[in-house]
Amino acid sequence: MPAFSEQLERLEAIVRKLEAEDLDLDEALKLFEEGIERLRVAREQLTQAELKVKKVLEIESS
Amino acid sequence: MGAPVDLFAAASTEGAWTVGEVTRRARAVIEAGLPPLWVRGEVAGFKAWRSGHWYFSLRDKAAQIRCVMFAKQNYMLPTPPVDGMQVFVFARPSMYEEKGEFQLTVMELLSTEQGGLWKLAFEKAKAALIKDGLLDPARKRHMPKFPRRIAVVTSPDGAVLRDIQAVVGRRWPVAELIVVPAQVQGAKAEASVCSALNRIRRLPVDVLIVGRGGGSIEDLWAFNSERVARAVAAMPMPVISAVGHETDVTLCDLVADLRAPTPSAAAEAATPDRIEVLAHCTVLGQRLGRALRIAARHVVERVNRTGDRLNRCMDHRLDRSRALLTAHSARLDALSPLRVLGRGYAVARDENGRVLKRVAQLPAGKEFRLRVTDGEVDASVQ
Repeated sequence: MPAFSEQLERLEAIVRKLEAEDLDLDEALKLFEEGIERLRVAREQLTQAELKVKKVLEIESS
Repeated sequence: MGAPVDLFAAASTEGAWTVGEVTRRARAVIEAGLPPLWVRGEVAGFKAWRSGHWYFSLRDKAAQIRCVMFAKQNYMLPTPPVDGMQVFVFARPSMYEEKGEFQLTVMELLSTEQGGLWKLAFEKAKAALIKDGLLDPARKRHMPKFPRRIAVVTSPDGAVLRDIQAVVGRRWPVAELIVVPAQVQGAKAEASVCSALNRIRRLPVDVLIVGRGGGSIEDLWAFNSERVARAVAAMPMPVISAVGHETDVTLCDLVADLRAPTPSAAAEAATPDRIEVLAHCTVLGQRLGRALRIAARHVVERVNRTGDRLNRCMDHRLDRSRALLTAHSARLDALSPLRVLGRGYAVARDENGRVLKRVAQLPAGKEFRLRVTDGEVDASVQ
């Protein structure tokens, strides 16, 4: 799964492109679908409940 | 003690003491008669030997005493004292037999000033860090907006970790918390913290929190060590320091990219609030929908416009064609031979349909057909 920041940046870029450019319908639809999918993944990431905690055991390194 | 000393009898090989005997005896007397005690005085002639042992004098207006503090006693002190410093020493009075010198074997040394040696060590280390530009505000890095991995160096069982875990879990569970336990107090703390930092240096971590609860300046010492401060400064990712309390700033705090008053505050500084991010996502979703509707409307409008143009274009062409047709048919009508026949002319043609225009084509007896306006008749030349 891509990092959340990448996910959100791409989503913002898609919205800006859709808002700013005169795209043909095919392209607009493709962007929209990608945007919706990224939005879904981002929401999923945000609403997952459990924080993952990993303990790294200290190894005495000289 | 009663009998008079026989000076002459004593002044002989058998009667005289050796130097070694005197110093040994003096040492025994001193050590038996003077228990370990606290002595106050000013440090003078301080010298640290390669071996790690410290030699100096303690003096006041009246007198001075040689002192030694061995490495196994002084290694816990943050820094050596400097000449002129007023100190308390807890020491065993003794005799340095080889030199016949009365001396104090120092077991503990405290500055009489507030903070004492700790403060001195702090200032010395801070000056060294400043000299190397490590406290330059321009070095401070920004925190990542959406951290993926947050590392924490702290004691594994303390309240610090619990607080950080709670805050990150609430605000940004998207991240992964990587805990690297370290001893944050005691003689091994400096080495332990440094080795924990070293481990994290190689991990793909976006932000690091170094934390421990408050304590006395001695308790916080590992975070005032120049070695730890330099290790923090050299970390490849931004570092938040949450060491101690508001009142005691450590070197680690100074060198870090951000100083937080508490471990919870550090965790907040390291994370965005997912509620806010969710709200932002909702707005993005709305904009996405609106943008698509607008894009679709544009397409429909374009199709309509194109249709209109096509229609206009077709109409125009049809008009032109109609006009042309009328013109052509008028001309055709004018040129039509039927019209000429209508005016009384006739056309003579042979049996093959060839038009006979000349006399030579019409010898006597030649049969031909004659076309008049309303039909044909057979004819012959007489």
